[in-house]
Amino acid sequence: MSNSNLFLKSGFIRAPLQNGVGRFVPQLQRIVLKFCKSNGSSRGLRDFIEQDLVDFAKQNPSVVVYLKPRRHRGPVIVAEYLNGDRVWMGMHNKTHSEITKWIEVLRTQQGDIASLRLRKYQYTDYPSVQGPWTPFTFKDPELNTAKLPDPKYGANNRLPMTATEKLRLMFEKQKLNDVNTAE
Amino acid sequence: MSVIRAGLQRITNIIRNGSGGILSRFITNSALIENKTVPQTPKEVISACNKLIEENASRNFAIVHLLGKQWRVTDGDLLVVEGYWPPNIGDKITLDKVLLAATKDFSLIGRPLVQPGLVTVTATVISKGLSHTRTHFKKKRRKQYMRINFQRAEQTMLRINSVNIASKINEPSKNVF
Repeated sequence: MSNSNLFLKSGFIRAPLQNGVGRFVPQLQRIVLKFCKSNGSSRGLRDFIEQDLVDFAKQNPSVVVYLKPRRHRGPVIVAEYLNGDRVWMGMHNKTHSEITKWIEVLRTQQGDIASLRLRKYQYTDYPSVQGPWTPFTFKDPELNTAKLPDPKYGANNRLPMTATEKLRLMFEKQKLNDVNTAE
Repeated sequence: MSVIRAGLQRITNIIRNGSGGILSRFITNSALIENKTVPQTPKEVISACNKLIEENASRNFAIVHLLGKQWRVTDGDLLVVEGYWPPNIGDKITLDKVLLAATKDFSLIGRPLVQPGLVTVTATVISKGLSHTRTHFKKKRRKQYMRINFQRAEQTMLRINSVNIASKINEPSKNVF
Protein backbone atom coordinates (compact mmCIF):
# COMPACT_ATOMS: atom_id res chain seq x y z
CA MET A 1 0.00 0.00 0.00
CA SER A 2 1.08 3.51 -0.56
CA ASN A 3 0.12 6.48 1.50
CA SER A 4 2.47 8.87 -0.27
CA ASN A 5 -0.36 10.09 -2.48
CA LEU A 6 -2.17 11.50 0.55
CA PHE A 7 0.46 14.16 1.00
CA LEU A 8 1.15 14.72 -2.68
CA LYS A 9 0.79 18.36 -3.65
CA SER A 10 -1.48 19.18 -6.56
CA GLY A 11 -1.30 22.15 -8.86
CA PHE A 12 -1.55 23.59 -12.33
CA ILE A 13 1.02 23.54 -15.07
CA ARG A 14 3.36 26.48 -15.40
CA ALA A 15 6.67 27.27 -16.99
CA PRO A 16 9.26 29.40 -15.20
CA LEU A 17 9.87 32.85 -16.71
CA GLN A 18 7.61 32.41 -19.76
CA ASN A 19 10.00 29.78 -21.03
CA GLY A 20 9.62 29.11 -24.74
CA VAL A 21 7.73 32.30 -25.59
CA GLY A 22 10.73 34.14 -26.99
CA ARG A 23 13.49 31.58 -26.77
CA PHE A 24 13.94 28.33 -24.94
CA VAL A 25 16.17 28.22 -21.85
CA PRO A 26 17.38 24.82 -20.55
CA GLN A 27 16.23 24.51 -16.95
CA LEU A 28 18.90 22.24 -15.45
CA GLN A 29 21.55 24.37 -13.78
CA ARG A 30 23.74 22.07 -11.75
CA ILE A 31 24.22 18.34 -11.35
CA VAL A 32 26.30 16.71 -8.59
CA LEU A 33 27.41 13.09 -8.89
CA LYS A 34 28.35 11.60 -5.52
CA PHE A 35 30.02 8.21 -5.49
CA CYS A 36 32.50 5.91 -3.77
CA LYS A 37 35.71 4.97 -5.55
CA SER A 38 35.88 1.45 -4.17
CA ASN A 39 32.37 0.20 -3.30
CA GLY A 40 30.56 -2.01 -5.84
CA SER A 41 27.25 -0.14 -5.56
CA SER A 42 28.87 2.85 -7.29
CA ARG A 43 30.08 0.72 -10.19
CA GLY A 44 27.50 1.96 -12.72
CA LEU A 45 28.01 5.59 -11.79
CA ARG A 46 31.80 5.18 -12.05
CA ASP A 47 31.35 3.64 -15.52
CA PHE A 48 29.19 6.58 -16.54
CA ILE A 49 31.80 9.04 -15.29
CA GLU A 50 34.59 7.25 -17.14
CA GLN A 51 32.76 6.89 -20.46
CA ASP A 52 30.04 9.50 -20.90
CA LEU A 53 30.54 12.37 -18.51
CA VAL A 54 32.87 14.47 -20.67
CA ASP A 55 30.53 14.20 -23.66
CA PHE A 56 27.57 15.11 -21.43
CA ALA A 57 29.35 18.22 -20.17
CA LYS A 58 30.36 19.23 -23.70
CA GLN A 59 26.86 18.80 -25.11
CA ASN A 60 25.28 20.77 -22.27
CA PRO A 61 27.35 23.92 -21.76
CA SER A 62 24.63 25.44 -19.58
CA VAL A 63 24.95 22.70 -16.97
CA VAL A 64 27.56 22.78 -14.18
CA VAL A 65 28.75 19.27 -13.37
CA TYR A 66 30.34 18.45 -10.01
CA LEU A 67 31.92 15.16 -8.98
CA LYS A 68 32.09 14.33 -5.31
CA PRO A 69 33.95 11.14 -4.39
CA ARG A 70 33.33 10.07 -0.82
CA ARG A 71 34.42 6.94 1.01
CA HIS A 72 31.91 4.17 1.87
CA ARG A 73 28.74 6.08 0.96
CA GLY A 74 26.06 5.19 -1.56
CA PRO A 75 26.01 6.71 -5.04
CA VAL A 76 23.69 9.70 -5.42
CA ILE A 77 22.81 12.24 -8.10
CA VAL A 78 21.49 15.67 -7.15
CA ALA A 79 20.11 18.01 -9.80
CA GLU A 80 19.31 21.66 -9.27
CA TYR A 81 17.03 23.73 -11.48
CA LEU A 82 16.44 27.36 -12.42
CA ASN A 83 13.22 27.53 -10.44
CA GLY A 84 15.04 26.49 -7.27
CA ASP A 85 13.98 22.84 -7.23
CA ARG A 86 16.44 20.21 -6.06
CA VAL A 87 16.00 16.58 -7.06
CA TRP A 88 17.83 13.90 -5.09
CA MET A 89 18.12 10.46 -6.65
CA GLY A 90 19.81 7.37 -5.21
CA MET A 91 21.80 5.34 -7.75
CA HIS A 92 22.54 2.28 -5.60
CA ASN A 93 23.48 -0.72 -7.78
CA LYS A 94 22.15 0.97 -10.94
CA THR A 95 23.80 -0.06 -14.18
CA HIS A 96 25.51 2.25 -16.63
CA SER A 97 22.56 2.33 -19.06
CA GLU A 98 20.02 2.95 -16.30
CA ILE A 99 22.07 5.85 -15.05
CA THR A 100 22.30 7.33 -18.57
CA LYS A 101 18.51 7.23 -18.82
CA TRP A 102 17.93 8.80 -15.40
CA ILE A 103 20.41 11.56 -16.14
CA GLU A 104 18.59 12.24 -19.41
CA VAL A 105 15.33 12.58 -17.46
CA LEU A 106 16.99 14.94 -14.99
CA ARG A 107 18.39 17.01 -17.84
CA THR A 108 15.15 17.40 -19.78
CA GLN A 109 12.66 18.04 -17.00
CA GLN A 110 12.08 21.59 -15.84
CA GLY A 111 12.05 21.05 -12.10
CA ASP A 112 10.74 18.58 -9.57
CA ILE A 113 7.65 17.70 -11.63
CA ALA A 114 7.26 14.30 -10.03
CA SER A 115 6.24 15.84 -6.72
CA LEU A 116 3.20 17.56 -8.20
CA ARG A 117 -0.09 16.05 -9.32
CA LEU A 118 -1.41 18.04 -12.26
CA ARG A 119 -5.05 19.12 -11.98
CA LYS A 120 -5.24 20.34 -15.57
CA TYR A 121 -3.14 19.36 -18.57
CA GLN A 122 -3.54 22.69 -20.35
CA TYR A 123 -3.08 26.30 -19.34
CA THR A 124 -4.40 29.25 -21.31
CA ASP A 125 -4.69 32.97 -20.65
CA TYR A 126 -7.61 33.20 -23.09
CA PRO A 127 -10.23 30.64 -22.17
CA SER A 128 -12.68 31.91 -24.78
CA VAL A 129 -12.09 33.79 -28.03
CA GLN A 130 -15.55 33.80 -29.58
CA GLY A 131 -17.29 34.33 -26.23
CA PRO A 132 -18.54 31.72 -23.81
CA TRP A 133 -21.75 29.89 -24.67
CA THR A 134 -24.95 31.05 -23.02
CA PRO A 135 -28.47 29.64 -23.35
CA PHE A 136 -29.28 32.52 -25.71
CA THR A 137 -26.24 32.14 -27.99
CA PHE A 138 -27.82 30.55 -31.05
CA LYS A 139 -31.40 31.59 -30.41
CA ASP A 140 -33.60 33.57 -32.78
CA PRO A 141 -33.59 37.27 -31.77
CA GLU A 142 -37.27 37.43 -32.68
CA LEU A 143 -37.93 35.89 -29.27
CA ASN A 144 -36.85 39.15 -27.63
CA THR A 145 -39.93 41.03 -28.79
CA ALA A 146 -42.41 38.16 -28.90
CA LYS A 147 -45.45 38.41 -26.67
CA LEU A 148 -45.89 35.22 -24.72
CA PRO A 149 -47.90 33.04 -24.59
CA ASP A 150 -47.81 32.68 -28.33
CA PRO A 151 -49.04 29.54 -30.12
CA LYS A 152 -46.12 29.96 -32.56
CA TYR A 153 -43.54 29.36 -29.81
CA GLY A 154 -45.73 27.37 -27.46
CA ALA A 155 -46.67 24.69 -29.99
CA ASN A 156 -45.69 21.19 -29.03
CA ASN A 157 -43.60 20.07 -31.98
CA ARG A 158 -42.19 17.01 -30.27
CA LEU A 159 -45.22 14.74 -30.70
CA PRO A 160 -44.70 11.67 -32.85
CA MET A 161 -46.53 11.41 -36.17
CA THR A 162 -50.12 10.24 -35.74
CA ALA A 163 -51.64 7.37 -37.71
CA THR A 164 -53.97 9.77 -39.55
CA GLU A 165 -51.03 11.86 -40.73
CA LYS A 166 -49.19 8.75 -41.85
CA LEU A 167 -52.19 7.56 -43.85
CA ARG A 168 -52.55 10.98 -45.39
CA LEU A 169 -48.91 11.00 -46.46
CA MET A 170 -49.26 7.58 -47.98
CA PHE A 171 -52.35 8.74 -49.85
CA GLU A 172 -50.54 11.80 -51.21
CA LYS A 173 -47.60 9.66 -52.33
CA GLN A 174 -49.95 7.27 -54.10
CA LYS A 175 -51.59 10.18 -55.89
CA LEU A 176 -48.18 11.45 -57.08
CA ASN A 177 -47.28 7.98 -58.32
CA ASP A 178 -50.54 7.74 -60.21
CA VAL A 179 -49.86 11.06 -61.90
CA ASN A 180 -46.35 9.92 -62.85
CA THR A 181 -47.52 6.64 -64.31
CA ALA A 182 -50.30 8.42 -66.24
CA GLU A 183 -47.69 10.64 -67.86
CA MET B 1 -24.27 29.51 -37.30
CA SER B 2 -26.89 32.26 -37.55
CA VAL B 3 -24.97 34.40 -35.09
CA ILE B 4 -21.77 34.06 -37.08
CA ARG B 5 -23.63 34.87 -40.25
CA ALA B 6 -25.26 37.90 -38.61
CA GLY B 7 -21.82 39.06 -37.40
CA LEU B 8 -20.40 38.76 -40.90
CA GLN B 9 -23.39 40.62 -42.30
CA ARG B 10 -22.79 43.42 -39.86
CA ILE B 11 -19.12 43.63 -40.77
CA THR B 12 -19.80 43.69 -44.50
CA ASN B 13 -22.48 46.31 -43.95
CA ILE B 14 -19.96 48.54 -42.21
CA ILE B 15 -17.43 47.99 -44.96
CA ARG B 16 -19.93 48.68 -47.72
CA ASN B 17 -21.49 51.95 -46.50
CA GLY B 18 -18.33 53.64 -45.33
CA SER B 19 -19.81 57.02 -44.43
CA GLY B 20 -22.71 55.95 -42.26
CA GLY B 21 -20.75 53.10 -40.74
CA ILE B 22 -20.98 54.00 -37.09
CA LEU B 23 -24.66 54.85 -37.28
CA SER B 24 -25.53 51.68 -39.13
CA ARG B 25 -23.60 49.64 -36.64
CA PHE B 26 -25.50 51.32 -33.83
CA ILE B 27 -28.79 50.50 -35.49
CA THR B 28 -27.91 46.89 -36.12
CA ASN B 29 -26.65 46.47 -32.58
CA SER B 30 -29.81 47.80 -30.99
CA ALA B 31 -32.17 46.03 -33.35
CA LEU B 32 -34.06 43.42 -31.46
CA ILE B 33 -35.55 41.60 -34.43
CA GLU B 34 -33.25 39.96 -36.92
CA ASN B 35 -32.94 42.27 -39.92
CA LYS B 36 -33.86 40.26 -42.95
CA THR B 37 -31.70 41.87 -45.63
CA VAL B 38 -30.45 40.28 -48.80
CA PRO B 39 -28.69 36.97 -48.15
CA GLN B 40 -24.93 37.07 -48.59
CA THR B 41 -23.26 35.32 -51.46
CA PRO B 42 -20.42 32.97 -50.53
CA LYS B 43 -17.98 35.16 -52.44
CA GLU B 44 -18.74 38.18 -50.29
CA VAL B 45 -18.40 36.14 -47.10
CA ILE B 46 -15.03 34.78 -48.20
CA SER B 47 -13.69 38.20 -49.16
CA ALA B 48 -14.84 39.59 -45.81
CA CYS B 49 -13.04 36.75 -44.01
CA ASN B 50 -9.89 37.32 -46.05
CA LYS B 51 -9.99 41.00 -45.15
CA LEU B 52 -10.35 40.14 -41.46
CA ILE B 53 -7.35 37.85 -41.71
CA GLU B 54 -5.25 40.56 -43.38
CA GLU B 55 -6.17 43.10 -40.72
CA ASN B 56 -5.29 40.53 -38.04
CA ALA B 57 -8.21 41.94 -36.09
CA SER B 58 -8.47 39.41 -33.28
CA ARG B 59 -6.82 36.45 -31.62
CA ASN B 60 -6.79 33.17 -33.52
CA PHE B 61 -7.37 29.78 -32.03
CA ALA B 62 -7.22 26.30 -33.47
CA ILE B 63 -8.19 22.81 -32.51
CA VAL B 64 -5.29 20.46 -33.15
CA HIS B 65 -5.05 16.72 -32.95
CA LEU B 66 -2.05 15.62 -30.90
CA LEU B 67 -1.34 12.11 -29.59
CA GLY B 68 -4.95 10.98 -29.88
CA LYS B 69 -6.35 14.02 -28.16
CA GLN B 70 -7.84 17.24 -29.39
CA TRP B 71 -6.55 20.46 -27.91
CA ARG B 72 -7.90 23.98 -28.26
CA VAL B 73 -4.81 26.18 -28.57
CA THR B 74 -4.04 29.89 -28.90
CA ASP B 75 -0.77 31.81 -28.72
CA GLY B 76 1.10 31.31 -25.46
CA ASP B 77 -0.77 28.21 -24.27
CA LEU B 78 0.89 25.45 -22.28
CA LEU B 79 0.04 21.81 -22.94
CA VAL B 80 1.15 18.62 -21.24
CA VAL B 81 0.94 15.50 -23.36
CA GLU B 82 1.43 12.08 -21.81
CA GLY B 83 3.01 9.01 -23.28
CA TYR B 84 5.99 8.20 -25.46
CA TRP B 85 6.71 11.05 -27.86
CA PRO B 86 10.10 11.51 -29.57
CA PRO B 87 10.50 15.34 -29.69
CA ASN B 88 13.11 16.57 -27.22
CA ILE B 89 13.49 19.82 -25.27
CA GLY B 90 14.18 22.90 -27.34
CA ASP B 91 12.64 21.43 -30.49
CA LYS B 92 10.41 23.72 -32.51
CA ILE B 93 7.62 21.82 -34.17
CA THR B 94 4.53 22.60 -36.20
CA LEU B 95 1.28 20.88 -35.36
CA ASP B 96 -0.16 19.93 -38.73
CA LYS B 97 -3.38 18.13 -37.87
CA VAL B 98 -5.59 21.19 -37.57
CA LEU B 99 -9.25 20.26 -37.21
CA LEU B 100 -10.57 23.80 -36.87
CA ALA B 101 -9.15 27.29 -36.99
CA ALA B 102 -11.03 30.39 -36.00
CA THR B 103 -10.88 34.03 -35.05
CA LYS B 104 -13.46 36.02 -33.12
CA ASP B 105 -15.69 36.49 -36.15
CA PHE B 106 -15.44 33.36 -38.25
CA SER B 107 -14.43 29.71 -38.09
CA LEU B 108 -12.79 27.46 -40.64
CA ILE B 109 -14.03 23.95 -40.06
CA GLY B 110 -12.02 21.08 -41.52
CA ARG B 111 -13.60 17.99 -43.02
CA PRO B 112 -11.85 16.43 -41.13
CA LEU B 113 -8.73 18.59 -41.47
CA VAL B 114 -8.35 22.17 -42.62
CA GLN B 115 -6.52 22.16 -45.93
CA PRO B 116 -2.74 21.82 -45.48
CA GLY B 117 -0.83 25.10 -45.60
CA LEU B 118 -3.78 27.27 -44.66
CA VAL B 119 -3.16 27.25 -40.91
CA THR B 120 0.23 26.95 -39.18
CA VAL B 121 0.47 26.15 -35.49
CA THR B 122 4.02 26.26 -34.10
CA ALA B 123 5.13 25.03 -30.71
CA THR B 124 8.28 24.59 -28.61
CA VAL B 125 9.00 21.59 -26.41
CA ILE B 126 9.84 23.00 -22.99
CA SER B 127 10.22 20.06 -20.67
CA LYS B 128 10.21 16.29 -20.73
CA GLY B 129 10.01 14.25 -17.59
CA LEU B 130 8.09 11.66 -15.64
CA SER B 131 4.84 12.25 -13.79
CA HIS B 132 4.30 11.51 -10.11
CA THR B 133 3.90 7.87 -9.18
CA ARG B 134 0.35 6.72 -9.78
CA THR B 135 -0.95 3.82 -7.72
CA HIS B 136 -3.24 1.32 -9.35
CA PHE B 137 -4.85 -0.67 -6.58
CA LYS B 138 -7.42 -3.37 -7.18
CA LYS B 139 -9.11 -5.48 -4.54
CA LYS B 140 -12.04 -7.86 -4.56
CA ARG B 141 -13.60 -8.46 -1.20
CA ARG B 142 -13.73 -12.01 0.20
CA LYS B 143 -11.98 -13.35 -2.91
CA GLN B 144 -8.33 -13.30 -1.82
CA TYR B 145 -7.62 -10.98 -4.73
CA MET B 146 -5.40 -7.96 -4.43
CA ARG B 147 -3.12 -6.30 -6.99
CA ILE B 148 -1.03 -3.22 -6.69
CA ASN B 149 0.81 -1.51 -9.52
CA PHE B 150 2.84 1.65 -9.67
CA GLN B 151 3.46 3.59 -12.83
CA ARG B 152 4.88 6.88 -14.02
CA ALA B 153 3.97 8.36 -17.39
CA GLU B 154 6.23 10.40 -19.63
CA GLN B 155 5.09 13.99 -19.66
CA THR B 156 6.07 16.45 -22.38
CA MET B 157 5.28 20.12 -21.92
CA LEU B 158 4.64 22.27 -24.97
CA ARG B 159 4.46 26.01 -25.42
CA ILE B 160 2.29 27.13 -28.33
CA ASN B 161 4.17 29.94 -30.09
CA SER B 162 1.75 30.97 -32.81
CA VAL B 163 -1.51 30.15 -34.51
CA ASN B 164 -1.49 31.76 -37.94
CA ILE B 165 -4.04 31.77 -40.72
CA ALA B 166 -2.58 32.55 -44.13
CA SER B 167 -4.74 35.03 -46.02
CA LYS B 168 -5.97 32.73 -48.76
CA ILE B 169 -9.28 31.13 -47.99
CA ASN B 170 -10.77 29.28 -50.97
CA GLU B 171 -7.51 29.07 -52.86
CA PRO B 172 -6.59 25.69 -54.33
CA SER B 173 -4.50 23.80 -51.80
CA LYS B 174 -0.84 23.15 -52.44
CA ASN B 175 0.45 19.80 -51.33
CA VAL B 176 2.67 20.83 -48.44
CA PHE B 177 3.55 17.41 -47.10
